Amino acid sequence: MEIKYVTTTCPYCGTGCSFNLVVKDGKIIDAQPSQRSPVNEGKLCPKGVYGFEFINSPDRLTTPLIKKDGKQVPATWDEALAVIAENFGKYKPEEIAVISSARCCNEDNYAMQKFARVVLKTPNVDHCARLCHAPTVAGLNMVFGSGASTNSFMDLANCSLAFIIGSNNFEAHPLAARRIMQAKKKGAKVIVCDPRLTPTAKQADLHIQHYPGTDIQLLNCLMKNIIENDWVDHEFVDNRTNGYEELKACVTQDKYSLENTSKVCGVPVEKLQLALQWLRENQHKTAFVHCLGITQHTVGVDNVRSIAFIQTLLGNIGKPGCGVNALRGQNNVQGSCDMGALPNVYAGYLSVTNPEAAKKVADYWGVTDLPSGKLGLHIPEMLETFEHEPEKLKCLYLLGENPVMSDPNSKGVEKAMENIEFFVVQDIFETETTKYADVVLPGSCYAEEDGTQTNAERRVQRFRKAQDAPGEAKLDWEIMKMIAAKMGYADKFAWETSEDVFNEMRKITPQYAGITYAKLEGDGIQWPCPTEDHPGTPILHITSFAGMPDGKAKLQAIEHRAPAEVIDEEYPFWLTTGATIWHWPSGSMTRRCAQLDRDCPTAWLEMNKKDAEKLGIADGEKVLLSSRRGEVAVAARVMDDIKEGVFFMPFHFIEARANLVTNTAYDPVSRTPEYKVCAVKVTKQEA
Amino acid sequence: MSAKGDMCYAWTKDAGIKGECGGAVTSLLKYALQNHIVDAVLTVKKGVDIYDPQPAFITDPKELDACAGSLHCGTLLLPKLIMKYLDGAKDMKIAVTVKGCDAKAMYELAKRGKINMDNIFMIGLNCGGSVTPFTARTMILEKYGINPDDVVKEEIDKGQFIVMLKDGTHKGISIDELEEEGVGRRLNCQRCETKIPRQADIACGNWGVFGEKAGKATFVEICSEKGVKVFDGAVKAGIIDTCAPEAKGLEIRGKIENVMVKMGKKNQKKQFDALGYGAKRLEFMQKESSRCIKCYSCIEACPICSCKDCITKDPNFVIPGRIPPNFMFHMIRYAHVAPSCINCGQCQELCPMDIPNALFMHAMQTEIQELIGAQKPGYDMTQSPLAYSEDKKDSGFVFIKMP
Repeated sequence: MEIKYVTTTCPYCGTGCSFNLVVKDGKIIDAQPSQRSPVNEGKLCPKGVYGFEFINSPDRLTTPLIKKDGKQVPATWDEALAVIAENFGKYKPEEIAVISSARCCNEDNYAMQKFARVVLKTPNVDHCARLCHAPTVAGLNMVFGSGASTNSFMDLANCSLAFIIGSNNFEAHPLAARRIMQAKKKGAKVIVCDPRLTPTAKQADLHIQHYPGTDIQLLNCLMKNIIENDWVDHEFVDNRTNGYEELKACVTQDKYSLENTSKVCGVPVEKLQLALQWLRENQHKTAFVHCLGITQHTVGVDNVRSIAFIQTLLGNIGKPGCGVNALRGQNNVQGSCDMGALPNVYAGYLSVTNPEAAKKVADYWGVTDLPSGKLGLHIPEMLETFEHEPEKLKCLYLLGENPVMSDPNSKGVEKAMENIEFFVVQDIFETETTKYADVVLPGSCYAEEDGTQTNAERRVQRFRKAQDAPGEAKLDWEIMKMIAAKMGYADKFAWETSEDVFNEMRKITPQYAGITYAKLEGDGIQWPCPTEDHPGTPILHITSFAGMPDGKAKLQAIEHRAPAEVIDEEYPFWLTTGATIWHWPSGSMTRRCAQLDRDCPTAWLEMNKKDAEKLGIADGEKVLLSSRRGEVAVAARVMDDIKEGVFFMPFHFIEARANLVTNTAYDPVSRTPEYKVCAVKVTKQEA
Repeated sequence: MSAKGDMCYAWTKDAGIKGECGGAVTSLLKYALQNHIVDAVLTVKKGVDIYDPQPAFITDPKELDACAGSLHCGTLLLPKLIMKYLDGAKDMKIAVTVKGCDAKAMYELAKRGKINMDNIFMIGLNCGGSVTPFTARTMILEKYGINPDDVVKEEIDKGQFIVMLKDGTHKGISIDELEEEGVGRRLNCQRCETKIPRQADIACGNWGVFGEKAGKATFVEICSEKGVKVFDGAVKAGIIDTCAPEAKGLEIRGKIENVMVKMGKKNQKKQFDALGYGAKRLEFMQKESSRCIKCYSCIEACPICSCKDCITKDPNFVIPGRIPPNFMFHMIRYAHVAPSCINCGQCQELCPMDIPNALFMHAMQTEIQELIGAQKPGYDMTQSPLAYSEDKKDSGFVFIKMP
């Protein structure tokens, strides 16, 4: 009998906790704490404790599946590769789209974007960062020249004011929430801005319960008062920024007064004043923390920039206990962006439209026909084209993603899936999406591979293989290698181990250049790490905004705009959606973990008591929630914790699919859908 | 031939074993494994570095060499792993190295029928307390001004936490001083009175090794018939050598133990008083518990918790899917665990929201013990488990016996 512990990192959220997988005679049977990690010190959330239970589920995909006569039947790898190679070869590059996965390791993502660009020669490569923090990447890049979180989790414990906006970190990033609670224990104040009285808001010293989609109004109002009270850190602003006058002219307009903001946001003036007082009292020791409540809006990029602006005005950048702390959602969404699985950049954020960058990448890969010079399609554009213009886009290679559950307007997504002429999905389970595929390929999960992933504080850490993948399932990058070889590109994918992939990647990715597998033992390393003797970088922008052309942050005028869809007579309630601590978005992994499922087996609709009373709805009663997109039946949860006029629904459950009603309207820059705001109505179901 | 209660200095005859002080423990484990006295050894080894202790489940005697030496960051608790992964030692003989908390955990799990003590051979290790890896690394950097990656060995000696660097230099700071500043040993270790685990079959350490053998021998106290048998067998087989302990050494060992027990009691009073009493304490407990995210780490790690279907999962008591869970979640834990709490500290160390669970539990345990005149949990195999459970059929518990 052999029992061993394999230390690895978590496949769920962007906090990147470590734990040990307990392996008995080659099979994972449990998870145990690993106290060594500086991120979580052995502590875990429910998903860390029980989220391993899906690994050896009998539902795991173990062979390729090929659709024959409308039915998906098991096939051999040779058959599957032959079908794929033949069909991929039929299409022009612009007719193909590739969706990589923020849940897969850096090596898988690097391989996927290389496969898309070298083998399929398509510029259309994207992944689910699109659906969550793409606005952070774009927004912070525009202001600071780097799209990543500026500080570190440990550092959050050093702030004396935590300003949390659009983040329910108690549920979404519990071990990051812990750092904020540590700060609180030391005397820090906590402000939470959220339409819901979430578990996070319950720990706040000040809860600003604003309407969904009114963040810029709120932030501009705060900035107006900071400027008019002369609390601006002029030394910082004068020396390290451009555009202050433009920003000032915008936010000092009357419409951003306390009184008007109070009306627009639905927040008492006293609360805004208290927030201002605390921002002043804790200048240079204030951390802003944000998540999808800020990004999943048609103004997501501008929301993020506004946060960057307010911190810049106060001089709260490049210092401990400060910064813009974007809590990235997926375990490796930071990494998948770093790896260039995006339609506008290569690995290391080299722009595809920059001829020098394109040549550098082409030379490194030894190719001459990279699809450079043009931006590829984003996921929403891919889905729109598949749905409405299927003659333009015909083929999709999808890795580790479940759009039928995760993307807004489910009926539209289903139509898109139906229209795809040749569809390959690579996943670990059959999902609501795989049933549309012509070929389904069985991949490995995090516990079955060596690799690296990058958490929300830019810390690169290891996945370590604890057991073999089941049946004939293979490593994800290995599958791409096999397809590439079948299509005549073996020499471009000549890797034997994940470390080979990593070492190829880091030579062309400046932020990772100094990182090696050996160096990652122990604490991991926060990029940028430009050379092998560099220790990594916990805090960004200490002396300069290195990614900006003149080293200075860019301030601009940003006006508040209403969400794409606002409430009206027909649809008089706001709907916002989000996650829970027990489940991961589409539920394919966590709904197969008995302990997690037991606590949270199905959906609910949070409804304020006063609204429920007016509508005549009792707690637990099933109602019909509808929008211009569709309708869904769901049980009402009547409570005080949600703002009057606003509903909330979690989106994990196929039997009560929140995305049937959500809006596809997206941010024009980042293309991130407005999951957080749409207009709905509720009707009682017939008895 | 030795007898229960005998003490001696012992050291290994195996040149390959580089022990902490004499290598007797490693030698005994090797002997037990090689001679099929046990089928496996469950102990602790270094992971990526000295701040990363990991359990080691060993069937190949050669692998024991790497486990020699102390690791003061070894905060993990072993007995529940036997229940979870080794079928409670039902059909397999296992040797286990145990600190005081491990030994008490073993007893309490055995009393509940979760571990077969007939198949367990325990070698106890003196323990002055452990430090969590993160605290150790942070304190070495901030208080010692040393890069924690440069430390090759740490030890606790004469009231100091001492680190040794690659170049042979070392630096020590008084534990009291460190703990005044909020670092040092875990809070439950500061309260602990179980410094020499006599619940084990053989209790070993370096306290009391005085004179010529100082630093070169292990102090051994035989605590059971099983211990007698194994120890004598090892001596007879020429695996270890022994000599009588120095009188001065015995005196020193007694002193150290007494001082540490006194310190433990003092820290209990200090920490429990700070909690307040009555309504004030309850308010504090409710406030701290309001951060709970229902991760179940406390329940999974607790050696007193072993029910198949934990009552916290009954929706009549705790509404599912809410965080924080209603206070009944914690009250169920207090009611079932507090009477038997052995102060192992796992529930507090592993809590993602730093709820001082072990502090609450241990405070309650000391008061309950006084109230009902019971023995300390984890010391006496003949005392029934002090717990109350709905699920009598499954857990085999008895109700608290009032005097």
